[in-house]
Amino acid sequence: MASNRPRAFRLHEAENGNFSLEDKPASRNAVAIAPDRSLESELAETGDPDLSLSPAVGARGGRLSFGNVLAFALSGLALIGLSTAIERGIASLFDQNAWLGGVASALAALAGLALLGLLGREALSIWRQRRITAMRKEATQLRENRDALAARTFVAALANLYAHRPETARARALLAELDRDVLDPADRLAVAERELILPLDIEARRLVAASAQRVSIVTALAPRAVFDVLFVAGQSLWLVRRVSEIYGSRPGFLGFLAIIRRVLSYLAITGGMAVGDSLVQQVLGHGIASRLSAKLGEGVLNGLLTARVGLATIEACRPLPFVAVPAPKLSDVAGALIRKSVAKPKGG
Amino acid sequence: MMAALGAYQEALLAARSAAQAAANWWSPRLRLGVTGLTRSGKTIFITALVRALVAGGRLPMFAAQAQGRISAVRLTFQPDDAVARFPYEENLAAMRGPDRRWPDSTRRISELSIEIDYESAASWFRGARRLTLDIVDYPGEWLLDLPLLEQSYAEFSRMSVAAAREPARISLSAEWRAVMAGIDPRGAASDAQATKAADAFRRYLLAARAEPHALSLLPPGRFLMPGDLEGSPALTFAPLELGEAAVPRDSLADLMERRFEAYKNHVALPFFRDHFARLDRQIVLVDLLTPLNAGAGAVADLEAALDHVLAAFRVGRNSLLSTLFAPRIERVLFAATKADLLHHTSHDRLQAILGLLVERAFRRSRERGAKTDVLALSALRSTHEATVREGRSMLAAVIGVPEAGEKIDGEEFDGTAEAAIYPGDLPQDPKAALDAKGGLDLRFVRFRPPLVEKDGLGKIRGAPHIRLDRALEFLMGDRLA
Repeated sequence: MASNRPRAFRLHEAENGNFSLEDKPASRNAVAIAPDRSLESELAETGDPDLSLSPAVGARGGRLSFGNVLAFALSGLALIGLSTAIERGIASLFDQNAWLGGVASALAALAGLALLGLLGREALSIWRQRRITAMRKEATQLRENRDALAARTFVAALANLYAHRPETARARALLAELDRDVLDPADRLAVAERELILPLDIEARRLVAASAQRVSIVTALAPRAVFDVLFVAGQSLWLVRRVSEIYGSRPGFLGFLAIIRRVLSYLAITGGMAVGDSLVQQVLGHGIASRLSAKLGEGVLNGLLTARVGLATIEACRPLPFVAVPAPKLSDVAGALIRKSVAKPKGG
Repeated sequence: MMAALGAYQEALLAARSAAQAAANWWSPRLRLGVTGLTRSGKTIFITALVRALVAGGRLPMFAAQAQGRISAVRLTFQPDDAVARFPYEENLAAMRGPDRRWPDSTRRISELSIEIDYESAASWFRGARRLTLDIVDYPGEWLLDLPLLEQSYAEFSRMSVAAAREPARISLSAEWRAVMAGIDPRGAASDAQATKAADAFRRYLLAARAEPHALSLLPPGRFLMPGDLEGSPALTFAPLELGEAAVPRDSLADLMERRFEAYKNHVALPFFRDHFARLDRQIVLVDLLTPLNAGAGAVADLEAALDHVLAAFRVGRNSLLSTLFAPRIERVLFAATKADLLHHTSHDRLQAILGLLVERAFRRSRERGAKTDVLALSALRSTHEATVREGRSMLAAVIGVPEAGEKIDGEEFDGTAEAAIYPGDLPQDPKAALDAKGGLDLRFVRFRPPLVEKDGLGKIRGAPHIRLDRALEFLMGDRLA
């Protein structure tokens, strides 16, 4: 019997219902029919669609280096030292007063719990960040290999990433509605990018522009160079954190460090290109402004730097590559800055 | 004389298009032609398209609607009073309720106009605007008449008789050839004999079109789709075996020739001049699944028919036809309909097969006037998808209610039972679908229209479709930018 002979299966004959592809058939001739799963059931069953299978996640880390060994050994030593010191302290407290010792051991237990909670949150935030990075790679692959089912699962996971954000409700409802429709993978990703990610882009872009402007004004007005260096650094860190929150990373301390590292690497890559694509603008903006006033020129330069940090953060934290939506350019977030700084002295 | 006529026609056409261009400046109109051979899904396509626009259905890839720039869509009065109105409301009603069925098919040209209020996002012309879309529905068979315009009756007879002797048709045409053999073309003309020959010829064409043969290239088009002309003398002729000798006056052949010329001048040509030449955009719906059911011979015949249909879109500069009318169609979309009878994993293959048919036809022509695209679509999706596990094998199937009388693998349906259908896999290589040797094991089953989904408030939600939005974007997205 040819296995690909066209045929029909009446629904009442089949042992109807869900089965998973791994299930063993009940008998050789058993027939089961499962409607292709929709987003609702996907979310209801697994809660968090598992993306850990994606090879991109495991690619980093896991390599043994002397630095890692050193850090591991040192932190182990410190932990042992700390715990023995606490233990000894508690023991001596018990010798003096049993009641005091009880309180101290309870506090130590509480501190341990808090530490565990902290570590857990850090781990979660790093995991989230890595997942977003993995999603970017996966999105690129999906566009290439035209796997419609994988695209559906991917978009469901993406929507789930923003499930705690009330302002994405409309976009998520739309994506859930589209879930049962037949859409080409690239189209489905484009819809998700346009509906779900674009509002976040706009928010992030506004934030970057405001931040760049603030930096340039403060630099122009600050009496000492120390202040504006501190301000630029603080503002950049704040910007990185806020932008990564907009795209759903919610970083803790270690996660934040990881993002900074990624942003720096993006800056290293795009720094040259950013100079290339807006050289005229930068030189012109900076040139005119600095000729009018050295302080004003510095302000523009610092503003541009902050804007570039913001763009690199967007690039690093966005779960989808820019395809359906054009990537923001330096002039989009810093254009007003240059125009303003040039226009201001003219007026005054 | 022909040249004078041509110049006159051309001047008329130029004057009319100038007038239209002026009118377009004030209120832009877009004429969208919808065509396809019988049962390719024209009526359903138009009904679903208008419904999706008017009711604001889910059209994520139709940019103007997805961006929320369309503020209102409504039906309006059509510009041509002499053309029938497309029965949109009746078709919609037919597809709803417990005894839902597919609407009656296109038999003649009809028209429906809708007004779209939208806001332009193009940087130069921002603000509220209005586009009137005139949808023109006409049988694709009529496009097959275009080559006839250049043929004489003798040529037409010779080609028809030769085609009837091809292996795929020889048994189908037996009755007509027998009738023809009993008629003397040089005998005295008689209406009775003409009718007898024409009826036999028509029966042969109808039999060739019906399943299981599913042939497509069967000119003249009005014999299958008479429109309002049923029984008129212009449609009461048939090809005859003329031989080489001259045709005497007032003989049967002479009568037939006169009627053939009348058909050309009063039936075929006016359609091209008055309707076809005024279209801006065109969608050609192609039902690939019925020919695939019937086998490679039917697919090859469909390719030949598509070739003739395409000829209408690439009328060359020097031909006689181009002096009679100049098509101004800018975009042509070829759509393989009924994609919902297949699992989505096969859509790419279906599209590839149609793409190959169209591409081969275009390669044969030197110029390509309009922008073209190919798509697999389903204007109204009547199935949902499922995976069937039988023993050890996994099959990608579709679930729906097959129409009464549909058969697959020895099983017959009654029109009420729901079933998962595995229609077989389309070949990976589109060329295999065209090869007679392939012997594809495919069986596509027709389904009843889907039950309409209602939401909690009892409102009807956007009907499911496959790539209707992409089709809309290609056909009119640029005019709503």
